[in-house]
Amino acid sequence: MKFLLLHTLPPDIEQIDGDDISPGMDSRLLAWVDEMSGRGVLLDGSRLRPSSDATTVRAPDGRPVVIDGPFAETKEQIAGYDLVDCDDRDAAVAIASAHPTLEVGSIEVRAFDPGMPDPDVPDSVAPGRFRYLMFVLAEMRREAAAATSDSPPAEEEGDDTDIDAWVDSVSDRRIYGWPLDWPDTAVTLRRQDGRIVTTDGPFAETKEQIAGYDLLECRNLDEAISAAATHPMATRCAIELRPLWMWPRD
Amino acid sequence: MTEDDDAVARSFEESWGRLVAGLIGWCGDWDLAEECAQEAFTAAVVAWERDGVPTSPLAWLTTVARNRARDRLRRRTTEEAKLSLAHVDSDEAGVPDEDIPDDRLRLIFTCCHPALPMPARIALTLRTLCGLTSAEIARAFLVTEPTMDKRLVRARAKIKNAGIPYRVPPPELWSERLEGVLAVLYLTFNEGYAASSGESLLRVDVSAEAIRLTRSLADLVPGEDEVRGLLALMLLTDARRAARVRHGHVVPLAEQDRSLWNREAVAEGVALLGGEPPWGPYAVQARIALCHDVARRPDDTDWAAIGHLYTLLPATPVVELNRAVAVSMTHGPEASLTMIEPLADELADYYLYPATRADFLARLGRNDEAVLELESAIELAPTGAERRLLRERRTRLLGG
Repeated sequence: MKFLLLHTLPPDIEQIDGDDISPGMDSRLLAWVDEMSGRGVLLDGSRLRPSSDATTVRAPDGRPVVIDGPFAETKEQIAGYDLVDCDDRDAAVAIASAHPTLEVGSIEVRAFDPGMPDPDVPDSVAPGRFRYLMFVLAEMRREAAAATSDSPPAEEEGDDTDIDAWVDSVSDRRIYGWPLDWPDTAVTLRRQDGRIVTTDGPFAETKEQIAGYDLLECRNLDEAISAAATHPMATRCAIELRPLWMWPRD
Repeated sequence: MTEDDDAVARSFEESWGRLVAGLIGWCGDWDLAEECAQEAFTAAVVAWERDGVPTSPLAWLTTVARNRARDRLRRRTTEEAKLSLAHVDSDEAGVPDEDIPDDRLRLIFTCCHPALPMPARIALTLRTLCGLTSAEIARAFLVTEPTMDKRLVRARAKIKNAGIPYRVPPPELWSERLEGVLAVLYLTFNEGYAASSGESLLRVDVSAEAIRLTRSLADLVPGEDEVRGLLALMLLTDARRAARVRHGHVVPLAEQDRSLWNREAVAEGVALLGGEPPWGPYAVQARIALCHDVARRPDDTDWAAIGHLYTLLPATPVVELNRAVAVSMTHGPEASLTMIEPLADELADYYLYPATRADFLARLGRNDEAVLELESAIELAPTGAERRLLRERRTRLLGG
């Protein structure tokens, strides 16, 4: 089964490099990455640029409306993601609980919809390109949707053909992407009084929740904005673009 | 000030934006470009006094700034700096003899990119295109200098890390992005115009910078009627500046000394309004400003024309409020009072809503109600000068 580990940090920390957050953080992070990659668990992941580098796109009547900043002002901000493949939710929680993010922030564990293929993500970014994680944000309330369908909104209303057409249209810049399961199946991990505490539900109770994401590699932000604005969900959802944290090449 | 100091000051005004734009295009590093442009001007103060002003000041400044940039990159040891150095060393492009308009245009569109917060767009435009210092911009917008520094640092970081392109937008984005640039220029002008009546005398003239920049933009994209429309609107509004404040008090339009209005600015504004209808929103607003500018006395104002022009604008609550004022001049305040009734909720925080209601009520002789409206307006007014004006009106109503 595939799970998304969504890392969140308090706003005063999200701008700061790992080792400046706490000494040795970067090496503990590398150790986790090495171990999980070695076990074949970790398929993709990155730190994300802080929320001030985020851009939110909506296209209510087809015309893109670009807004600076993240889709929601939450107490903690999304700061990174990992895609892990393991037996079940308990295994995903165990993997997350070993991650150094929990020294300072929290991790939401969300299941992907079934059927997700292993992504093929090139290690290095092509010269002069930028990578963006494109979150699709939707109002995800199971009760509200129950009357019409029991699948998450990303799959509702015969959108499949639209999504396929969109995927084709952005094939020059899209690496992979997949919808997520309902947020009420999420588990959030935090450290409290020296122990890791697990609670049901997403890291923040916002009106809109992450319904899925796509990883893009583009020449510039405008290319990412146009991919977001033409996404079939953009007419009724917010789409947030987050640049990946690119480490200096030295 | 010597003649050569003067030459540096004049060159700063004329060349800063071009120099920085060219340097960013050449090295891709905003901070480095600004630092080295600043150093080139500092060097010019000494060198031009000693050797005289060069024939092409921009080329001189560019050469000096590029040499400084190369030195700085050589001193850095990171891989990134080495790559930049290799890039600038391989760049065969010569030093520009004259202006390269495209570079400034690229800079304007990048500073006004919609992914940047609006206050950052305004600050970045004033810093990189007009050369105002962070301290000057901070004073103009009544924030502390560290706040303004942080705003500029974050904006440059976002351009770099989020991949905001340094380019003139392609045709499919052109009109939308140009609209965004004009919105930034218009807001900058308005901020400066409102601030000119505020308490602080130390604030730099931000609206003059907005006018200068819009004038450059009109030269760079001569075919765009709305750019000319916006420049006309700024000039036709700014023409009344000298009469707008007297002894720190805002003077309402009807009471202004019209002999102080700047006829040259009005003439320049009129010359810009050649476009055929349908006019864009800035061209329409410019024509409204012109209706006021050409009236020799308040009674000569063509309110019917103004009322009609307002119908050509998108019917936002503020536009409807202004249209109601024009209608009150042709059809009486009673009709207008009814007209603005539905706007109450949307304009609940806008001081001109109760102020306008007060005006209509007073003209109907309903002074007690007018005083109450003025009191709400005083609460909501953004600057001290505007509050003083409203208090004066209240005193007049109470005292008869």
